[in-house]
Amino acid sequence: MDGYEYLLARHTATAHRTAVLLGAGDDAEDVVQEAFVKAFQRLGNYRGESGFRAWLLAIVGNETRNLHRSRRRRDGLVLRAVVGLRPGPAPVDPSDSAEASERRQHLVAALQRLNERERDVLVCRYLLDLSESETAATLDLSKGTVKSRAFRALAKLRAVLGVERPGAGIAREVAGG
Amino acid sequence: MVNPTEGSLAAELRELGRHLDVPEAPDLRPAVLDRLAAPHQTDPAPRRRFAFPRRPRWLVAVASAILVCALVAVSPARAAVADAVDGLLRFAGIEIRPERVNPELPAPSPLPSVRHAGLDEARRLANFPVRVPDQLGEPERVSVADPAPDGSPRVVSLFYRGGAVRLDEFDGALEPAFMKQAQGAEWVALDGYSALWFPAPHPVTYIDRTGAERVETARLAGPTLIWTDGSASYRLEGVATREEAQRIAESLSP
Repeated sequence: MDGYEYLLARHTATAHRTAVLLGAGDDAEDVVQEAFVKAFQRLGNYRGESGFRAWLLAIVGNETRNLHRSRRRRDGLVLRAVVGLRPGPAPVDPSDSAEASERRQHLVAALQRLNERERDVLVCRYLLDLSESETAATLDLSKGTVKSRAFRALAKLRAVLGVERPGAGIAREVAGG
Repeated sequence: MVNPTEGSLAAELRELGRHLDVPEAPDLRPAVLDRLAAPHQTDPAPRRRFAFPRRPRWLVAVASAILVCALVAVSPARAAVADAVDGLLRFAGIEIRPERVNPELPAPSPLPSVRHAGLDEARRLANFPVRVPDQLGEPERVSVADPAPDGSPRVVSLFYRGGAVRLDEFDGALEPAFMKQAQGAEWVALDGYSALWFPAPHPVTYIDRTGAERVETARLAGPTLIWTDGSASYRLEGVATREEAQRIAESLSP
């Protein structure tokens, strides 16, 4: 177990956040625990092309997909469940805060309108701020697919945002989620 | 990227990511390490659920992660882990090199500028807390070595059982003070800390204040447990079993 504790300490937060945002919900902790155990058992296969984090996240992504399969459904409420309630870092301009918060809720509502594949790419690439390689590993896609899918998903998101107005209905749905 | 609008939307999504209220990550180390310690177990160990985030333990984890800047690279799997944390081989102020060396070593010679001291004197001189394991009690002999210009020793050694057991204490948080060449080291969980256990005799060399290896101090060390409590590093040598070494390590009194 040489040094594995170090890797646990270093990567648990990202792995957990990834599992939550990919829809593992309350099972995120189990997913990450399982991923760390499997990662250790497979260390012999580790080649280090894109770093340990990408390698671990690939297992986290896979475990989360297995979870969706076993549930036969996906926790579509994940983004709604996690958005909005926590005050972010103190805004530079306090008057900007309410507007920014509304904009974020609007953005979440727009993300819910994308299909899962598009949303997952945006979640990994931007919300989790993973690299293209890490996103590819996590979602078991090629880097080319990540690039093109992210491009299309952003375009679609922009279109959704352009059409939608931050109406009361959406705001209520977000707050109630 | 090319399209400025796309760039700002991407930035907005990143910003959203920072504002998401994701539950705090639990400390998974105990559960994972338990499961890894029993690799032949067929059904998974009971999974832990914590009612609230255990922030203090997490901070300890981060603190120890900073100290554990490296690993023993021996098997391919271990090499992978070492590679993943950029291959440095340091733990608790001790540098560990995985190669096997010629076991013919010169007769043991002391650390630089070593001299006997009383326990109280060593405590007064040292810049780190000198702690005594309750399991072993008052040391039979104490030595201080490699003093700084102000007289504070870099290493304080406590001797027991006629010198067969020694506990080296030093401030190893900054740079390594010993170099070990060893294979087959294993991680051991102490009460709140990690330790490395070297079951087999192995060569150990002192690295002095200037960073130079003191080859003349090279000697074969018996089974050894090394660990750190964050303020000092410890190296317990000469206890035959891991269990006893662990008990002694956990009995260090302030």
